[in-house]
Amino acid sequence: MKHIIKIKDKPHKINLNVIVKESLVILVMAVTIAVAINELRQASLPLFGFDSTKIAGIIRTNIPKITLTEAYNLYRQHKVVFVDARDPFSFEEGHIKGAINMYPDEVAFRLAQLKAMLSAESIVVTYCDGLQCPLSQETAQALQSHGVAVVKVLADGWNLWINAGYPVTKGQI
Amino acid sequence: MKLRNFPGPVTPAVALVCRLTVAAVFLYAGCEKIIAPQEFATAIYNYRLLPDWAINVLAVTLPYLEVLLAVCLLVSIYVRGASFIAALLFLVFAIALTINLVRGLDISCGCFGGLTGSISWFYLVRDVALMAISVFALLFDRGWSYFFTR
Repeated sequence: MKHIIKIKDKPHKINLNVIVKESLVILVMAVTIAVAINELRQASLPLFGFDSTKIAGIIRTNIPKITLTEAYNLYRQHKVVFVDARDPFSFEEGHIKGAINMYPDEVAFRLAQLKAMLSAESIVVTYCDGLQCPLSQETAQALQSHGVAVVKVLADGWNLWINAGYPVTKGQI
Repeated sequence: MKLRNFPGPVTPAVALVCRLTVAAVFLYAGCEKIIAPQEFATAIYNYRLLPDWAINVLAVTLPYLEVLLAVCLLVSIYVRGASFIAALLFLVFAIALTINLVRGLDISCGCFGGLTGSISWFYLVRDVALMAISVFALLFDRGWSYFFTR
């Protein structure tokens, strides 16, 4: 115990020079790394190319709705991929057969999986649970902003589907 | 390598916990934003505080700054600068949150990536708490060498 350094619990002397110098080094490094990686990665952003009118257009666009009958007809013809926008636990308990689970903020990194399921003729239909549930709309908007051409929302989809007795399944996908 | 000065004296040990907490928060937040930069840019735009030309610049650089801060705080390099920037960032986030809570905008926080929960006063309280933790780390942290000896 002899070698334990005794200290007083007082704050360090604030050396502004050190703080400013270290902060500048960190900031310069962060900007350099960020710009370099942004240039190299596939999903890069144009540094000064943000277009708010375009983004606003995407956000304000209401995604078209689809009726249960239309959705089921497409399902029977294998011309639809359902995206379940509910939480993973609800999805595991039961979902439309063949659906993929995708929360709005998962769209970016699960897009490839969805695109692999799409054929030239098929469309994407998002759904969640209840008329007030915003997740299907948000996931549809995120999909559209990622370049998925035809996305529709089946409002109150899970309730309608299960009450109609259409095919459902359990477990993860 | 031997452990020393742990758990007492209390202040440096608490400062260590504060430093690691801020590091963990920034590491998670930064990685989530790096995964989906477009969503994060949209989240920044939704705050209606920056001109168009600044949005992508911030959306590209902020996540990497957060990860770099996390690394500095974890390995205890440039801790003064890192905890100072961390406190400054939390202050800026708090101002942005307050302005939009007062405006009554129902927008995504963007705290941990683009499409996360809507902003609320809870987020503001959490942000101010993290700012206080960063300031504590800035004032009292003594680095790993204080706790370990050969």
